[in-house]
Amino acid sequence: MLSSDHRERSPTLRIAVFAGMADLVGGRTVEMPWSGGTVADARRLVAERHPPAAILLSRSAFAVGSHYVADDAPLAADDDVAIIPPVSGG
Amino acid sequence: MSGTRGDLSTQRHAGHAGCVGHAIDTARVLAAVGDVDAGGNVLFVGTARGTTDGAVTHALNYDAHEPLAVATLDALRRDAIARFGLVACAVVHRLGTVPPGEACVAVATSAPHRAAAFAAAEWLMTAIKRDVPIWKAEERPDGRREWLHPESAPRPGGGS
Repeated sequence: MLSSDHRERSPTLRIAVFAGMADLVGGRTVEMPWSGGTVADARRLVAERHPPAAILLSRSAFAVGSHYVADDAPLAADDDVAIIPPVSGG
Repeated sequence: MSGTRGDLSTQRHAGHAGCVGHAIDTARVLAAVGDVDAGGNVLFVGTARGTTDGAVTHALNYDAHEPLAVATLDALRRDAIARFGLVACAVVHRLGTVPPGEACVAVATSAPHRAAAFAAAEWLMTAIKRDVPIWKAEERPDGRREWLHPESAPRPGGGS
């Protein structure tokens, strides 16, 4: 009971990942406890948790909703965050 | 949409942008830009190649951040209309598995004269490949899948 209460209260940042980044982190989302911070903080945490993704991550942008965000932008736990690696459509 | 004579103000900037998970109906993409004021109509269709630099491609696979991809495709479509004075423009990108020979992307442009329609289609394809959060994987006959994240590409989102 206590642990599930704790889990509900602990804010989590969920980041959507795509393409080669999804292969490198082993899934379509990266989740981590989040008490607040910037895009740069999230970038560093993802790289620490998924070292093989670090190089591609350094060449990737972040988006919240349908807008790109800069490294100094703050992220909230309920933001719709995504990592956008270099694109190759067409 | 467009294609019939009527209220000219609603015909301007006609067309659409989107992503689909099935075969692209290229005739429909072209039809979407037809207009009585357009004398030049261009349809570009990018198709999956069966080989690249000698390596056999079993199929292409496309992934996307779909909301951002559709928003970016539509922004580029509107930009093309303004830059080239188009009558209409439509852009459709396919997602998921695309076998060789099938369409991955279709761009249609219409303008009073052909030069603007050709130039806009070329500009749009370059912009789509550079700016839209869509990714391509080449699936090899042995089942390996390689996602392409070009080294030369700038970080998406531009600006910074």
